Amino acid sequence: MKKFILTLSIVAFSMFVAEEAAAQIKAGEGQVSIALESNNTYYTPDKKLEGYGISKPSDRERGNFGSNDYLKVDYNIGRFSAGIQLDGYLPPLYGYDIYKFSRRDSKLTAFLTKYVQWEDQNWGVRLGDIYDQFGNGLIFRTYEDRALAFNNSLAGARAYYNFNNYVNVKVLAGLPRFYDVRSKNVVWGGDLALSISDMAGWNNGMISVEGSYVGRFQDGVEDSNLKYLNIEDGILNMVSGRINFETAGFTFRSEYAAKLNNDLYDQSRNGDKGNVINVDLGYSYKRFSVSATFRRQVNMRTPIEMLPIPGGTGGGNALNYVPLLNRQHTYMLANLNPYSGSATFTGGEIGGQLDAYYSLRNSKQRMKYWNFHLNFSMFNSLDHKDWAGMSTIKGRNAWVEFNFDVERQWSKKLKTTLFYSYQRRDESMNHEDTPIAHYCDAHIFVGDVTYKFNKKHSMRIEAQYLAANDTAGDWVAGLIEYNFAPKFSFYVSDMWNCEKMVDSVSDNDNYFQLHDKDGNPMYDENFQPKFKHDLLHYYQVGATYTHKNVRAQLSYGRNRAGYVCSGGACRFQPAYTGVNLALTLTF
Amino acid sequence: MKKLMFLMLALFVGFSASAQSMPDVKVENQEGKVISTRDLVDGTPMIISFWSTTCKPCIMELNAINDNLYDWLEEVDMKVVAVSVDDARTLSRARAMTQGQGWDDYTCIYDKNQDFKRAMNVSLTPHTFIVDGKGNVVYSHSGYTPGSEQELFEKIKALK
Repeated sequence: MKKFILTLSIVAFSMFVAEEAAAQIKAGEGQVSIALESNNTYYTPDKKLEGYGISKPSDRERGNFGSNDYLKVDYNIGRFSAGIQLDGYLPPLYGYDIYKFSRRDSKLTAFLTKYVQWEDQNWGVRLGDIYDQFGNGLIFRTYEDRALAFNNSLAGARAYYNFNNYVNVKVLAGLPRFYDVRSKNVVWGGDLALSISDMAGWNNGMISVEGSYVGRFQDGVEDSNLKYLNIEDGILNMVSGRINFETAGFTFRSEYAAKLNNDLYDQSRNGDKGNVINVDLGYSYKRFSVSATFRRQVNMRTPIEMLPIPGGTGGGNALNYVPLLNRQHTYMLANLNPYSGSATFTGGEIGGQLDAYYSLRNSKQRMKYWNFHLNFSMFNSLDHKDWAGMSTIKGRNAWVEFNFDVERQWSKKLKTTLFYSYQRRDESMNHEDTPIAHYCDAHIFVGDVTYKFNKKHSMRIEAQYLAANDTAGDWVAGLIEYNFAPKFSFYVSDMWNCEKMVDSVSDNDNYFQLHDKDGNPMYDENFQPKFKHDLLHYYQVGATYTHKNVRAQLSYGRNRAGYVCSGGACRFQPAYTGVNLALTLTF
Repeated sequence: MKKLMFLMLALFVGFSASAQSMPDVKVENQEGKVISTRDLVDGTPMIISFWSTTCKPCIMELNAINDNLYDWLEEVDMKVVAVSVDDARTLSRARAMTQGQGWDDYTCIYDKNQDFKRAMNVSLTPHTFIVDGKGNVVYSHSGYTPGSEQELFEKIKALK
């Protein structure tokens, strides 16, 4: 608690100073810019949560305080720039993969990324940490996602050259970051993009043909313990080919990528070769647009390093980007049990998604309009061998969703949104690869109203209901937000299971280890969770302050266990109760 | 203690004010062609707003600016640049959405590798900047509360 109060006072002080002297510094002709992001939680004891054995924050190995912090400093002069970023996990917040898989024993973890870069008109060179991707990232993508505490930046060198927009060639090599250490396995690659339309002087659209290659050394092939995998290749080769076409509102983008050798580090599927096909289609006319994606993938998970436990390497262990394609929701109940990807466990997936948007508006009355959005997604697992490679498990449906939202701006003051979603998921596939499906259906209804009293004061109310067909029970949620523009915002929300069913969602690691506070198991003889009938509220209260370059959010509440997804990747968040302070500062 | 050092360092450098110029980074335009962010600077002041398909307050802010845009244009010359930071996963959805939300008057650009986002030091979206006609960043704020778009208008008016 002392630490938390200290943090709080430092933050308050720094906000005061930042406001007084919001600034950048000029260093000669160049300029420096600084950004700080700090996310802190103090975990408070919660007898009620502990009573269900859902989670005990006191079990946290590293105390009751967690803090993920990022300080980024950049210097820029003309075409030259340089920068550093310090990531501090002091220690990491509970539920982030880096908390579990961090390789340093120290309570405090820090990691420094840095770069120098020259960007000319047609060419560029960068040394240090590189964030880049080839095509859709299916064979290579390095990026940072702080919501997941994910960062796999490649430490090395990159150069690119662009000839008249006709040809764009890029090469790079380096060592990827693996949580809080640097991997020892060198990764290298190249990307070539040809713009056919520019070459032909065609101005009514775009046609491009692109290709990439990525290679990686696989240390450990000689390891006698791994002989059973029969992997002989010391190098993993991956390729990708793409054709893109756009004209008069039509879009066609396609990519085929393959893993040409057995992947030593993806032991979960016995290191089989992989391939993926991804097709995007789009069409737009005036204020109507539709976009669809189809994807089929087999064994495309490409870990950066080998970890001993199959499947237990966390989301941060990825050299490429094969994200979930279904819609990521913002309403609490629509996000209650998101699709977390069947391919994580089964090695293969086929499916797609579709979006349609339409805006109905009168050009004379800009304050009155309708916005419509419709979305559909469906994913199936493919036929595959089970973990032991003994029998074949038939592919089956893993996820279906249909949802739409209708937004109506009635006047300058009033806006309403109606949202409906039907979700069907195979709960058992969310946890492990099993031949037995357990489908859960849910219908989610949301009403969302924003009312502006005047230029400064406004209020937003959300009412949500989830109707489930199974033992999980129905849920209710609500939110009230009051805003004093432009600086302050306050909110209160609550979410509870109105049939008083205690949540069965749990981590892989303790799925069958649910015990109540007296140590009695909370599952029956078939390992099905036993439900206690009691009301458990997941409440939140919070306030946000924004001014110029400062944003601070202070909240307190009980958080439900579940998947937190960002950018198509998810992490499992155990339940906890606590005070959270999030702060961003930019200079 | 490290945290303290973090903040102290941040404070230490937080003095002496001057306008920062907008960095030059490669992004994609609506047609999928690579353009340079420097090309956006054409003498007209602009609002640059970073958004993504999964960021609800971002969409609320861009809609609110859109609602007021014609009223504002009667008083000042300006343009709005909506920067999508959606990655490969939601890029096609973002393109569809800009068309289907009636953002006809916006310049929409796509920063799928997040180079522009990093260069502008954006950590949380929405993050909105006001850039004058010469490409100097004169104001920025992150987060959105209904009504805060009025502040953007005041700042852009003050540029005259």
